Amino acid sequence: MSKRQLAMVMDLNKCIGCQTCTVACKTQWTNRNGREYMYWNNVETYPGTGYPKNWMELGGGFDAAGDLQPGVIPNLEADYGVPWDYNYESLMGGQSDSNHFHPHVSPTWGPNWDEDEGAGAFPQDNYFFYLPRICNHCTNPGCLSACPRDAIFKREEDGVVLVDLDRCQGYRYCIAGCPYKKIYFNPKISKSEKCILCFPRIEQGLPPACAQQCVGRIRFVGFLDDEESQVHKLVHKYKVALGLRSDYGTQPNVYYIPPTESPAKFDAEGKIIEGSTRLPVEELEKLFGPAVHDAIKTLKAEMKKRKETGVSELMDLLIAYQHSDMFRLDNNYYQQVARDNKRNPLAPVDTRYIAGKFTKAGGHH
Amino acid sequence: MKKLLTTILSLGIAASAALAANPAISATKVSESLDGIKADSPLWSKAKFETLTLYPQSSIEFNDKKANALVENAKGKKAQVAALYDGKNIAVMVKWADKTKDVEQCMSSDVYTDGFAVQFAGSTKKAQPLPYIGMGSEGRPVVVHLQKATAKVYEPNGNKDVSTQINRQQTGVFGKELAEYDAKVASLAKTDYEKVFVAEGFRSTTEVKDNSVKSNGAMVHGPAGWSGTLVRALKDDYVNLNGTVPVAIAVWDGSTMGRNGLKNLSSWVAINLEGQKSATAMVAELTTESKGDALKGKEAAMTNGCNGCHQIEATDPKSFMAPSLKNIGGYSTSAYLRESILKPSAVVVPGYNRNAHVNTPWYNLEKGKRVSTMTDYSFLDKETVDNIVAYLKTLKAEVE
Repeated sequence: MSKRQLAMVMDLNKCIGCQTCTVACKTQWTNRNGREYMYWNNVETYPGTGYPKNWMELGGGFDAAGDLQPGVIPNLEADYGVPWDYNYESLMGGQSDSNHFHPHVSPTWGPNWDEDEGAGAFPQDNYFFYLPRICNHCTNPGCLSACPRDAIFKREEDGVVLVDLDRCQGYRYCIAGCPYKKIYFNPKISKSEKCILCFPRIEQGLPPACAQQCVGRIRFVGFLDDEESQVHKLVHKYKVALGLRSDYGTQPNVYYIPPTESPAKFDAEGKIIEGSTRLPVEELEKLFGPAVHDAIKTLKAEMKKRKETGVSELMDLLIAYQHSDMFRLDNNYYQQVARDNKRNPLAPVDTRYIAGKFTKAGGHH
Repeated sequence: MKKLLTTILSLGIAASAALAANPAISATKVSESLDGIKADSPLWSKAKFETLTLYPQSSIEFNDKKANALVENAKGKKAQVAALYDGKNIAVMVKWADKTKDVEQCMSSDVYTDGFAVQFAGSTKKAQPLPYIGMGSEGRPVVVHLQKATAKVYEPNGNKDVSTQINRQQTGVFGKELAEYDAKVASLAKTDYEKVFVAEGFRSTTEVKDNSVKSNGAMVHGPAGWSGTLVRALKDDYVNLNGTVPVAIAVWDGSTMGRNGLKNLSSWVAINLEGQKSATAMVAELTTESKGDALKGKEAAMTNGCNGCHQIEATDPKSFMAPSLKNIGGYSTSAYLRESILKPSAVVVPGYNRNAHVNTPWYNLEKGKRVSTMTDYSFLDKETVDNIVAYLKTLKAEVE
């Protein structure tokens, strides 16, 4: 466990599945160097197969006894999807025997292949919602526990989970160990890579790219121990933000406001069934655990209170009138950490293994 | 029935004990330089090949479900090994059968490659006991040379060349200019996955990247399988090889998802540098079987409750508490086994991350030292220990 823990809260009532977060992350980090297929941030439709395909069934995480569970490493073509490109070159150069625009491979799968399909019967009771996912920067990370080389570490200063690319040898046990399948193998450099919670931005007091760009303003970022932070209030004070699949035992630090607002069902005549809701609460319980019932109660009560009295701190928080109201980060904190450790404040906070403990001639870089 | 089983068992033990330990290898001295020697060099005709047996590593089980199913009944493999030296360098050739040629194409997330490694004992004041076979142990370092079969791949982070780190589609150029860009990228490609590590125990493995080790590895695949060669300096910051050189060999098979501990490995093997004084005691230790009575050893192992924590034979239940011993006879020296019984904390393999199995801690940290949770069996008499060691030496998989 780290000294402090950064957390993100995502309000699923507000997510519109626009993928702006996905694009922000992709253009910032994963559009090059063997990361093309990776989505450190993705938004999937729930219910659905998710990304990678059926990730919830691929093992990893811990059982009740605290033993790391074996898992399966997804296949790039079948489970993640090949990032295909189009035949721009041959079309532009006039070399193509056809003038059709087509992908360079015949894709069989990709992220959001089953987007918006959801479940239920249209139009009576079909339903779905969007589930944005990044690395959960867990308190007890499955990836970290699975690594036989100690190449994965959790930063003391803020709990960000990172791969030390110098130590990583590409064994991929981390991928099997992560129940969220949010750590990826880079085949070009034969090392594992993952969401870094945009730590270079965080250290400058800026939110991660996905949170900064979110048009629905669904993402709150801050330190869990900071009582003034939005994340502290949502997670600990009001207890309306819950971890995803906490039953995997990794203690995730990305929290979700469950989607409470879904339309009513139609009856056989196409009339609204008053008081019904399309989203089965059992589905929410599966994702967010039994605490989801209390969270829904609190959210409904606060909505009612706000309607009746016009006052609700929780609703104000969730509305997020100002973009800046969603983040409480602290550049000075990181500057102080750097000063305390006599390090350059612009360098990454964690510099373990750079000297190469077991090599003799003054470090191996 | 029980009696019959015991008889069969005792015959089995007697038969496997009769299998000779790995023979010593005699390294021929050559007057030609071994710099950059590959498998096709005529110098290898002077080398004397010996057959070693490499057993599947099964001390700890990893968390890859598919790979575990593939190696569940893994067998021992034979490898032909020979060595040459020229006064400055030592060259080792390893030949092993592998029907599938698994070369890393750098295109997929779940494909693994064939490879081999040669482990040398680091220079220490006391040559004995040898370092723990799996990446050495505290105060007893090893140097490991790893060679993997990899296709030509451009590793863009290797030389900080930012201009070629973008994808070809994002260069914004077409036709001739794009072809030029591709050629530039290809010219920067790394073609070789060869690494040198220094380690004082599993998990401490650190890659040597400062060129303080001069070596060259290569792999060639033919109809009979792989031929791997490794040439390195006899003396550098890490090793000082003379007389008898203990080495251990490992091979990986990509088709069974081999990597890291999912491999076949030999126990320590003695390479005698021809014309130099060999370390007689070490050679004797590595080439002769333990003298104890394996059957009595098996009984002693039962009465002392070894299977309370260890999986001893392949049919016993698995345990996270202690290393599995089902192949321990295949890759451990008698000296190591004896030491582990008498002084369990002498070598405590970090094994799993302790987070992975919190309720079965096989060691505790006391003042920064790993202290084994295993009972100290130093109260056993010498004969019983010899018998247990002889029994443990029989624990190994069938050979292909």
